[in-house]
Amino acid sequence: MVIYMGPMGLYQSNNSILEKLNPITKLLYIITVIALSIIIPAPQMNLACLLASVTLLIIGRVFWRLIPFIGINITVLISIIVIQGLFMAGNKTLWFQIGSLRFYQEGLCYALNLCLRVFNILCAFAILLLTTKPSDLIESLVEKGLSPKLGYLLCAVLLIIPQLVAAMERVMDSQRSRGLETEGNMAVRIKAYLPLIVPVVLSSLINIKEQSMALEVRGFSSDLKKIFLNQQFSPFYEILIQIGLLTTITLALLRRLFLWLS
Amino acid sequence: MAKLVVENLKYRYPLAKNLALNNLSFEVKNGEFIGMIGPNHAGKSTLCQALVGLVPQFFRGAYGGRVMVDDMEASKVPLSKLASKIGIVFQNPFSQISGVKLTVYEEVAFSLENNGFSRSEMIDRIDWALKLLNIEHYQDRNPLSLSGGQMQRLAIASIIALKPEIIVLDEPTSQLDPQGSEEVFKAVGNLCTQGLTVIIAEHKMERICKYAQKILFLHQGHLVTFDTPYQVFSHFNLEGYGINAPVFTNACKKLEVKLNNGFYPIKLDEAYRKIGAYYEHR
Amino acid sequence: MNTARIVIQDLRFAYHESEEVIKGINLSFNRSATALIGENGSGKTTFVKLLKGLLRPISGSIYINGYNTATTTVAKLAKYIGLVFQNPNDQLFKQTLIDEVMFGPLNIGQPILQAKASAEKALEMVGLSNSKLIHPYDLGLSDRKLVCIAAVLAMDTDIIILDEPTIAQDYLGKEKIKQIIKELRDQGKLVIAITHDMDFGAETFERIIVFHDGHVLLDDDTKTVFKEHDLLKEFHLELPHITQLGRKFNFPEPLLTVDAFVDHIKNRNHQKPSYPL
Repeated sequence: MVIYMGPMGLYQSNNSILEKLNPITKLLYIITVIALSIIIPAPQMNLACLLASVTLLIIGRVFWRLIPFIGINITVLISIIVIQGLFMAGNKTLWFQIGSLRFYQEGLCYALNLCLRVFNILCAFAILLLTTKPSDLIESLVEKGLSPKLGYLLCAVLLIIPQLVAAMERVMDSQRSRGLETEGNMAVRIKAYLPLIVPVVLSSLINIKEQSMALEVRGFSSDLKKIFLNQQFSPFYEILIQIGLLTTITLALLRRLFLWLS
Repeated sequence: MAKLVVENLKYRYPLAKNLALNNLSFEVKNGEFIGMIGPNHAGKSTLCQALVGLVPQFFRGAYGGRVMVDDMEASKVPLSKLASKIGIVFQNPFSQISGVKLTVYEEVAFSLENNGFSRSEMIDRIDWALKLLNIEHYQDRNPLSLSGGQMQRLAIASIIALKPEIIVLDEPTSQLDPQGSEEVFKAVGNLCTQGLTVIIAEHKMERICKYAQKILFLHQGHLVTFDTPYQVFSHFNLEGYGINAPVFTNACKKLEVKLNNGFYPIKLDEAYRKIGAYYEHR
Repeated sequence: MNTARIVIQDLRFAYHESEEVIKGINLSFNRSATALIGENGSGKTTFVKLLKGLLRPISGSIYINGYNTATTTVAKLAKYIGLVFQNPNDQLFKQTLIDEVMFGPLNIGQPILQAKASAEKALEMVGLSNSKLIHPYDLGLSDRKLVCIAAVLAMDTDIIILDEPTIAQDYLGKEKIKQIIKELRDQGKLVIAITHDMDFGAETFERIIVFHDGHVLLDDDTKTVFKEHDLLKEFHLELPHITQLGRKFNFPEPLLTVDAFVDHIKNRNHQKPSYPL
């Protein structure tokens, strides 16, 4: 399974409507989806949110890029469904039988609901990660008061993976050149662990020293308030969307509270 | 106008036994192109870092004497403030890329964003810096997709955008191919004609002699001499210090061919002219 | 049957389909010091990785001492061919120099005492035998590079490849590497080095192969290659500095060292110079 990671992590520019939205709005959408699934845990709620997210992903023309991730998750989730369907503690109602394997309704429903939730959250996050330039996300958070240092760190973490993969490949070539076996049984692999991992760690430490010097002289720790070149606009309709999302959470909470009191 | 004065500068890294910089004093005039030479471990990188305040503000350790950039003392004034007077470019172009920006244009903006410039000022400065380094046609490219020479020029543009009057370059071409090195040297030469003071550490003597007006010669933390390249390459026993004169100078020394002022040639054309004349006389 | 140490027949390679990086190379190597030159992206590093067996050809074949790299494991090839990478930080991981340098010999099956002896000999050759118990990262970058060279020398392979050995080296470091290459060649080994430093190339190697866009553009002895000034210039390659000076005088043969240049000038004292004044 190949997940495409560009030099900028998961994001690829495609000029869609979602890409033009303020990252804060998309972040708020994730929060709303998660909040709703906690406040109203009914499968119908999850299904509705999931459908909304998928529609948005299709509008944003990034749905196909999500498929590898769904693939990875499906393998895990299928095993959950099978195990819960067969063995969950509360299993009572027999649904169907394959040979000697008895699948129960309770377990299957529970597992399906769980899968629905996982996909739901996955899709909500995908909207943010697949359509947002990492630096835009971080910059809008820094403008909202996040510490610039933490912001840089978060951004760098999002982007460092392709670089680490490249470093890992170089180290692998170097050590195999010196006769290190990297393929074979467990013992061989364990033996190869240190020669492969130590150079990656040490050389990235060296790079960090140089990198932080370069950041210092570019005024990174300056006390002045940062002004970002790309301003994050929040036009009127976006503020409406944001208010709408917040209202949804509030209404759900009120409903829950009402049910609880009555 | 920025003037750089170094007085009795001493520095020892934490845990080190020997001084990395041992009592250096010199003065750089405005607009000069200075070549910094010396073998590895002579203290070139340390001196570069001391000139811009990274030593002792980023690297602690024992520090004495002072570096004055105009009226700013490099060991005391905050680095970001010094950066508007004196900038530095390092060896490895990769480690100077912020890593969080998607385009060349935004990468240059990063320096300016940190220093709180207004958006219109930012745009003016980015355009100016990209043009000066001749990389404006790459402005929408991803920094990581550039060649070494282009990436190093981007690193220079990111520093130049802060409009320092002095720029220090620590072996900026050591990891580049000949074409990339030439691109960088041309760009730096261009900065000098724009009035910037340039201090550049470099191993290739032939290249440095094409541009440098003065040579700052370090060895084991000491300043051996600070003089014109003609003086330095004609009169010093360079091999004893573990460095080599330009091949043109070496050839002329062996043929005992000198310029009219008594120095040996250091550039290709000078060597050609003088060896040609030597022929005529025979 | 060609019995050379390395035989390469119609070699082709691509990282991604439809984008060939090596586009049909035929070469053979015996014992000599050979430099590979060419612009960045001309395929030099890919080529040496293919020789080393780290990459497999998509068509054509490479024989190292008679073994086809496509069907021999990298670990087995490591007994015959050593490769020193550009960046020392990509391989150093032991606590002491001696352990680091012994890693390769032990991997290819040298007994521990022999590995230790080879490692000590190799460290001596690069001039670091006094530092064998210190941590590699306590050395500067230029010395760390020498450690990596020693780590490959200790494996005592017939073929040694160096990728950009002079990066980060000062004058003395370059002289040392030049000496090592000459010594290896005198021992009858095949040394292949990728280099961008033409002055170093002219003084050190007897054969030069110029790569361009996945092809071999020129392959000849050093003098003959540096005769092709116009062709080299077209591909952004410079002549060595001393050769540039000789060329100004329109000398028929390229001169590769200062001494050769000076001798040439001195020995021509009765002839009229053939250049315009």
